[in-house]
Amino acid sequence: MSTNRPEVSAVEALDEDTLHRREDRRDRWLTVGTFASLLGLWAAVTGSGLWEPLIKPLFLPSPVAVWEALLRLIEQGYQGRSLGHHVGVSFQRFATAFSFCVLIGVPLGLLMGMHRPTRAVLEPPIQAIRPIPKLALLPLFLIWFGIGNLSKIVVIAAPVFPLIAISAMQAVRSVSTRKIQAAQALGASAWVVFWRVVLPASLPGIFTGIRVSISLGVTMLVGAELTATSDGIAWMALTAAEYLSTDIVLVGVLIMATMGYSLDRLVRAIETRVVHWSGKD
Amino acid sequence: MLRDDLIPLEPVALDAPERRTSALLAIDQLGKTFGSGTGQVQALSPTDLYVQEGDFLCVVGPSGCGKTTLLNLVAGFERPSSGQVRLRGQPITGPGAERGVVFQQGALFNWMTVLENVAFGPRACGVNPEAARQRARQLLQMVGLDSFADKYPYQLSGGMQQRVGIARALANEPGILLMDEPFAALDQQTRELLQEEIRNIWRRERKTVLWITHSIDEALFLATHIAVMTARPGRIKAAFRSPFNETEDPLVAATPAFTAAKRQIVELLRGESRQAQAQETAA
Repeated sequence: MSTNRPEVSAVEALDEDTLHRREDRRDRWLTVGTFASLLGLWAAVTGSGLWEPLIKPLFLPSPVAVWEALLRLIEQGYQGRSLGHHVGVSFQRFATAFSFCVLIGVPLGLLMGMHRPTRAVLEPPIQAIRPIPKLALLPLFLIWFGIGNLSKIVVIAAPVFPLIAISAMQAVRSVSTRKIQAAQALGASAWVVFWRVVLPASLPGIFTGIRVSISLGVTMLVGAELTATSDGIAWMALTAAEYLSTDIVLVGVLIMATMGYSLDRLVRAIETRVVHWSGKD
Repeated sequence: MLRDDLIPLEPVALDAPERRTSALLAIDQLGKTFGSGTGQVQALSPTDLYVQEGDFLCVVGPSGCGKTTLLNLVAGFERPSSGQVRLRGQPITGPGAERGVVFQQGALFNWMTVLENVAFGPRACGVNPEAARQRARQLLQMVGLDSFADKYPYQLSGGMQQRVGIARALANEPGILLMDEPFAALDQQTRELLQEEIRNIWRRERKTVLWITHSIDEALFLATHIAVMTARPGRIKAAFRSPFNETEDPLVAATPAFTAAKRQIVELLRGESRQAQAQETAA
């Protein structure tokens, strides 16, 4: 082999794998560039203490001010509680609601996909509930579930649950009949068809539903912590707004954004590992 | 070859009652109608068809003639509107492991390795894991894919995927193989190669095959018997014995005898295809 000859290896370097790696690297830089430009633009219009701000700090504090607010919050906490506590409480509310939705919604969606009578009973009410803005139900949730954590978990779960259940149902219904027939013709019982064919074939769709609902769930934190609470990261942002502390509002918003983004990346990492066949049909 | 050799294909009555008693697969007055009321479509008009053990029967016909419906009924994926199908005397009521099915494409399980795909049938039928894998390895070797056992189906080419499909269908040692245009999505070269392989496998194992195709060449090359179907509602218009199935000549398709036989079937089919197209434009 003549791989040690530079002109040959240069040609070999253009094989498909290398091209893909190059494109991946380019895409990563583009992403980093996007964030850097947004940060730069933000720093520019707010002056960052270097020049006269285009937008007053009251409306949009500079990145430096937000950074300082974050450090101050880490050091002193907010309204008598540490920042970690606020983040932790919010995450707990989100995680409880989300786990419930996945643990109940996915099996229920699978059942709805497999069993027509169940679908006939459950799909119409679930679909009818979906367009209702859940925030409008907040006062009702408070009356029904009290001012404790339960009502907050319900607010988050209310829009997430139907989304996860319906997407699991759709995933089951879009499993190719051919694959099911192939399994049946190989002697598989209904049980084996479900576990070895329908369930794995639905996993990509289920993961998509879960990923879409992460951002929805994080968004609903704002609704959950709108009233009847004295902790949580959304509550921090909401109360800080009342005192016009826009820097703290932005810290809260950015923490929620980071939370949603990291969770999405986490699920995506699990997804590529578990459903390696996704999109290969 | 001499002009005198160009005798027409020998007709055979696949629905002859005397074939019925010895038939492995007996199709009696089998008919299928979809929908109801004014939207009713008769896909298959009541048909008799008897397949003997070791027969390689190709069913050719214009698209939408009900040949896939026929296969689905035999496979047990659909319920007949009239008549019944029996395998070794046993009426067919649903899908089962004694009938191996190979589809056109997209029927492999992408979440299992190639080996697991082939071992799926024996496992589903209660064979222990080690024996099932053993059997799967043998079959993969037979279709020349033993070195791909640990790959996933989506990592293979279309032709290789079909080989896996064939190996998987054979894994339960079914009494009959049902093939629904298994090579229709492949390119010409791959198709011809696989046709030769299928013929070799068939010669070795003498497995009974019901093969649906729209390719007359494929039918002539592979089949011992060819059934020609009419446009919808499908029924068997004519059936022949094919003499080319025993030939050693890989280029048999280029011989005058083959061309003459093809011509014979094409002429039968032309009117039907025209009618099928007219039906489609009307619908």
